[in-house]
Amino acid sequence: MPVISPHAFAPSAANDLAAGVPLGLREKVRRLERAHSAQRGGRVAGVPLGMPTIDALLPEGRLLAGALHEIEAGPAPSGRIASHDGAALGFAGHIVGLFAQQTSGTILWCRRPTGTFDAPPYAPTLSAWFDPARLLMVTAQRDADLFWAMEEGLRCPGIAVVLGETRAADPTAGRRLSLAAEKSGIPALLLRTQPAPPQSVCATRWRIASAPSHSTPGLSDVGAARWHLELRRNRFGTPSAAEIPSWLVEWNDETHCLSVVPQTLDGSSSAYWPESDAARLVG
Amino acid sequence: MRLADARALLPDLVTTAGEPQADHRLIETIANWCDRYTPWVAIDPLGGALAEEGMEACSAGGFGGDAGLLLDVTGCTHLFGTGEAGERALLADLTQRLSRHDFSCRAAMADTAGAAWALARFAERQADLFCSRHNQRAALAALPVEGLRLDASILETFLKLGLRRIGDLYPMPRAPLARRFGDQPLARLDQALGTLAEPIEPRRPPPAFRTRLAFAEPIGRPEDIAAATSRLLAALCRQFEQASVGARKLEIALYRVDGSVDRTSIGTSRPNRDNPKLMKLFEEKLGELDAGFGVELMILGAPEVEAWNGTQDALPDQNAPAVPAGVDGTIDLADRLALRLGAENVVRLLPRDSHLPERVQVAASVGTKPAATGAWARVAGLKGARPTRLLQRPEPVDVMAPVPDDPPRHFSWRQHKHRIVRAEGPERIADEWWRPRPDGSRPPAGEMPLVRDYYRVEDDDGGRFWLFRDGAYKVAANGQPTARWFLHGFCA
Repeated sequence: MPVISPHAFAPSAANDLAAGVPLGLREKVRRLERAHSAQRGGRVAGVPLGMPTIDALLPEGRLLAGALHEIEAGPAPSGRIASHDGAALGFAGHIVGLFAQQTSGTILWCRRPTGTFDAPPYAPTLSAWFDPARLLMVTAQRDADLFWAMEEGLRCPGIAVVLGETRAADPTAGRRLSLAAEKSGIPALLLRTQPAPPQSVCATRWRIASAPSHSTPGLSDVGAARWHLELRRNRFGTPSAAEIPSWLVEWNDETHCLSVVPQTLDGSSSAYWPESDAARLVG
Repeated sequence: MRLADARALLPDLVTTAGEPQADHRLIETIANWCDRYTPWVAIDPLGGALAEEGMEACSAGGFGGDAGLLLDVTGCTHLFGTGEAGERALLADLTQRLSRHDFSCRAAMADTAGAAWALARFAERQADLFCSRHNQRAALAALPVEGLRLDASILETFLKLGLRRIGDLYPMPRAPLARRFGDQPLARLDQALGTLAEPIEPRRPPPAFRTRLAFAEPIGRPEDIAAATSRLLAALCRQFEQASVGARKLEIALYRVDGSVDRTSIGTSRPNRDNPKLMKLFEEKLGELDAGFGVELMILGAPEVEAWNGTQDALPDQNAPAVPAGVDGTIDLADRLALRLGAENVVRLLPRDSHLPERVQVAASVGTKPAATGAWARVAGLKGARPTRLLQRPEPVDVMAPVPDDPPRHFSWRQHKHRIVRAEGPERIADEWWRPRPDGSRPPAGEMPLVRDYYRVEDDDGGRFWLFRDGAYKVAANGQPTARWFLHGFCA
């Protein structure tokens, strides 16, 4: 789905006066569209991600609660298919943690093992984002069962967040999940480990790839986890200047929060460790 | 008598091959069908044993087929009428229905299984098949001694001695009889007369709670079956309330007009007697049931119940929402998910104090108490950096590591080569020598326990992996130090 850049709506110099009207109208329509889902069942409308540059693009600066969010594992920076979705799982875990802080319910984690090896999420690591004691793990053998389990979870008042791990997203299932989430106000996340078309209908779609971390100067140790984060779909949100807004974010294991790593104009992060130095240290 | 001799006597004799297994299946089916009268149905062990050993005749000789069924109808006859009238009605109903399915059968009712066994096989008049209360002594007196279920050798001696009727044994002194023939004749006689108890072992454990609903006309529409289930459930939930229990497992059986039975069951993860919730679980399963040509009887039983944990039942209120606000519906959700996906696929995770990464997380059923708040954080806090995904079984990788104990330079996993740019480690995790190995053996004394050296590595694309080296380097035949490397997880 093409992302409409704000330049397409840029007012011409001739009707500068009228420019305010469509903007205000658009804001009004956006509010009407979401009126039915906000504040449903005494739940909060959403959570801020805690990164101001990203939150500025989201509606009201929050990730909507009663909506479907898709998180997909992206290809590596070099363009190779990523060999695993550890980064996407980390980002999903962070979002689940943010939502889980708001309510005290159970976290429903549905997965459908795909591929030739089975690597379930590892609870001791997940405890950085939320308490795994609240997890209810569900394994489904078919996509239909997975979406059914997620939908059942979205209708249950004792559930805080529903997450589904699968490969493809059926647009019909995505629509059903969105509607169920809107009705109950429970956030739904879809973690797509090996993204393949078709894509579902969702409020936001994020693409995550692991990025080289930043070692301690003088050492070649593995630094704090860094991810390339792309916001590929942002319904109800504010359009950004870039066609696909992307950031380099870093997970801080001590403070348990994500932060955007400032990037220089040429696209490299400011604290980038030169390749040659790293090679020298390892060699 | 052999077949050739029989054919010589009767040339147009119709013969078919014996099929003991098919006979057994048929008896099982009839026993299932008899569950409509009582849950205590047993296949006569005597008949079954004889059929299996292929012996020619049992003491019930002359009767077509030696198979029999024993039904304990204590407390079930009131469904057919009061007192003796109900007992007679049940017996008549059983015989009539079986003969409608083209089975020739003889059914007798008495106070004891032994007396009923003898009457069903040897009673001469139709009226004798029903033995009224405490009357078995008189009823058995005229029957042949074969009716006592005796071994063939004892029976033969009895006949030689002229003891032909069961009544002939009544005046005999007990002590010489026992000395001459062993315990069996006296025990069988006492069992038949009711002085010695003879329990019937039911084929399936009878549920403590049971309701039944019989239909005047067979029903077949799914809506009707659902409505009937709902009525049975309401009656059963009232029984639960009186006994202060909740169901862990419920089983519904449809008795179809063609004599076959279809069953399905639901399970809950904690004692439940909430009618709408249980009905919701049944709705998932009722679609699997096949009404066939029609259902004439439905029985709902609770094979597993547990003491009610003390929460008050909700007051019926038409205006209340389906799920009251604030009630945690998670357990009911888990029950619904487990019903469709299988109980092993809906789990909670519990922490375990262990150094081995694969042993730290245990899947437990939903009914178990979740881990205490902070228990997971404590388990995770003790350890070094861990992956976000852990492979169920570590995958072997090809590794190039220049110096022992240094992190590898390259590794290739599944045809992909990864150049390692950053690495951390090793973190040494030793085998838990105090636990027996999976095969039950213990590591012999003096042998080094298995150790793994874990490394967290990052490749040039930023992908982070968790690798380990199995044990120390060994010197191979060609003089090169070698070690086995495995990939165990993916980091964030």
